[in-house]
Amino acid sequence: MTRILLQALNAPALVLIAILGIAVQTSLFALWPLNYFQPDVVLLIVIWCALRRNFIEGGILTLIVSHLAEIHSAVPRGTFNVSYMLVYLLVRGSSRMVVIPDLSSFVIVTLFSSLIMKLSSTAIINLLSPHSYVLRNTAFLLFPGAAVAGLLSIWGYQWLEKFDSYTYKNSRSAESLEQDLNLDSEGF
Amino acid sequence: MIKYLKQYRFYIILFLFLLIPIIAIDTSTRAPRNFWPHDRVIISLTAPIQAVISWGLDQVVSGFQNYIFLLQTRQDNLTLTDENRKLLNTIAGLRETEQENIRLRKLLNFQEQFTLESVVARVIARDISTEFRAIRINRGESSGIQKNMPVMTNEGIVGKVLRTTANSADVVTIMDLLSAVDAIDERSRARGVIEGYTDDTCLFRYVLRTDDIQVNDILITGGIGGIFPKGIPVALVSKVNRKPFGISQDVEVKPIVDFTKLEEVLVVTKASHEALPQEPSVRKVSAKAIEKGEPPPEKKGSTQ
Repeated sequence: MTRILLQALNAPALVLIAILGIAVQTSLFALWPLNYFQPDVVLLIVIWCALRRNFIEGGILTLIVSHLAEIHSAVPRGTFNVSYMLVYLLVRGSSRMVVIPDLSSFVIVTLFSSLIMKLSSTAIINLLSPHSYVLRNTAFLLFPGAAVAGLLSIWGYQWLEKFDSYTYKNSRSAESLEQDLNLDSEGF
Repeated sequence: MIKYLKQYRFYIILFLFLLIPIIAIDTSTRAPRNFWPHDRVIISLTAPIQAVISWGLDQVVSGFQNYIFLLQTRQDNLTLTDENRKLLNTIAGLRETEQENIRLRKLLNFQEQFTLESVVARVIARDISTEFRAIRINRGESSGIQKNMPVMTNEGIVGKVLRTTANSADVVTIMDLLSAVDAIDERSRARGVIEGYTDDTCLFRYVLRTDDIQVNDILITGGIGGIFPKGIPVALVSKVNRKPFGISQDVEVKPIVDFTKLEEVLVVTKASHEALPQEPSVRKVSAKAIEKGEPPPEKKGSTQ
């Protein structure tokens, strides 16, 4: 029973982790020059959802966490929703075609996803406000941002793996839970 | 029907996942942006965490800085004493100018009342995105803060309130890429718009090529738009590129407020700028005095 409850609480707990991560990101990395090195917590969660959740659950979680990012930014509404959803769908689609075997290969996915996310949000902002100077700013921060996201992902995905393991959400724990439930139903 | 829904379930969901963000963009561009009720709940969770972390960080940084600055106190003291001496001279000169200003205003029959009411707030967080430069402060609707109120420090303009909750507010700074502030050159009175450009630079746009703009000129708020009170310093001209052709010139400016060290701000909750009517008799006498080039008549009991 506890295991089922923990599994059910996985998604709300992931949203809470996102909220906490955003709060830390926006306040701890607010001081200059740390603000240039602020990691994108939401991006890591979106990639994790794309690779370790089913299509519907991952998509809904992506919409929720991207909205969380938007209310902590002055960015025009919907920009992060579109960008993170694009990353989610691209990562999910590419995982069908390319083998992404372990956590270390997730780092490479994160590097590319960070670039895609920044470029897509820049494109949207340019469409909404063609006279702004977002393009120049993105050119400066594109690669440092990707590098920091990649660096954080080394530990980030390990923590998320542990979190999934504790809440019986990873494949191994889910299988063992299913086996236990089968044994229970058969009277063992 | 259900059979088709099941068959095309993946494509329907994919369509919805693409549609929802696009609708979010569309609705946001039409309606004025503010927090939805569920956003306020999330902000009420994150704002205290942000406040605690930023407070802790400030304590660590200020403690460290105090120690470092102590090593240079004597040198600083000498510099400040020297600066103080110069400033006292400037103040004496300004007093004279102020008196002259009052006399001239009376002569031109123009009096005005300028009042600012403000709330002090602490910066608790910055924008999640490095492309945008908004800040979050620890005061909100419960302190009388509302959307579009000007935010400043004792140095100059910081920005304006973008969104509010009960106990926090988001401020979009003048450095933000989508920000625009009407400004005038204090010296030459050339008018333009200050827009965010990089992390430490803004652009002074739509300034005519024939306008006299020089490096180190101070730009002040122009008062158009009704958000910022007129005459508050915004930026200092850092680079002027006047081309031999075209309508406008390229002017880069540096904000007067140091955004890297921004800890406390003032939110202007009430700014009134009223012209007061004068007695008709005084107006007539003043008009005659201007025609004749005479000094203005002094009132009995005047404090001038």
